[in-house]
Amino acid sequence: MTVTETHVALYGGLTGDGAREHGLVPDLLPLCLTTGLGWRVPQPPLAVMAFMGFEWVVDAPLRVGDTIHSRSKTTLKRSMKEGGVIVEERQVINQRGEVVQHGKFTFLVAKRPASA
Amino acid sequence: MTDPRRYFDDIQVGEEYESPGRTVTEADIVLFAGLSGDYNVLHTDAEFMKQSIFGERIAHGLLGLAIQAGLFTRATQAYATLAFVGLRWKFKGPIKIGDTIRLRAKVAAKKEISKPDRGLVTVERTVVNQRGEVVQEGETDLIVERRR
Repeated sequence: MTVTETHVALYGGLTGDGAREHGLVPDLLPLCLTTGLGWRVPQPPLAVMAFMGFEWVVDAPLRVGDTIHSRSKTTLKRSMKEGGVIVEERQVINQRGEVVQHGKFTFLVAKRPASA
Repeated sequence: MTDPRRYFDDIQVGEEYESPGRTVTEADIVLFAGLSGDYNVLHTDAEFMKQSIFGERIAHGLLGLAIQAGLFTRATQAYATLAFVGLRWKFKGPIKIGDTIRLRAKVAAKKEISKPDRGLVTVERTVVNQRGEVVQEGETDLIVERRR
């Protein structure tokens, strides 16, 4: 998706967070947009019960007008009594194929209910 | 005109800030769902969430994160930030519609880096609700310019 001035303005009004200089995208906005991008893959979304935490690295600035996509990989799965923990590695990539942000998310995901 | 920003040299380890409160509303959550495209039922389906452990819709974790970033700018004078390099973050509890959150931040560390005109500042951040419960916490790393 192309990140526009509108995204930056809506995000700024909603959160009060902004970019360091005009023309740049606020650093946390691409991160926020990746969750929605994850909903547009053919695979149905995870049955997330809770988002437990994450680590995130900003590799390069993103500019208004840049087009991003995101790539994810499940790297760990641990079963617990109620649901299980999934660790997902995620990258945000720009139109030149450069990784602009990347990190690791930890989710608590529901187990499939036993069919009645 | 003097530069109102705070440079690497000005920032002291151990400094603490507290932001004003910010009430998170249903409108915030609806707007964030629209902006991010994250329509998870946790944030968008009131009926489904009545049956959940939370009992109602909760704010997106990343909405709380983004709001605290905005609150940071109201908690202290702006840093002369050159880059935001990363963060480590934990979601400890839900932010519900009508909850009022505030940010408590503390400068945890300052580190020299290879470039002499800048340094790394690590800020510990805690997001608390109106009952004083920690709902989110973590650390952010910023590259801040030095005075010349």
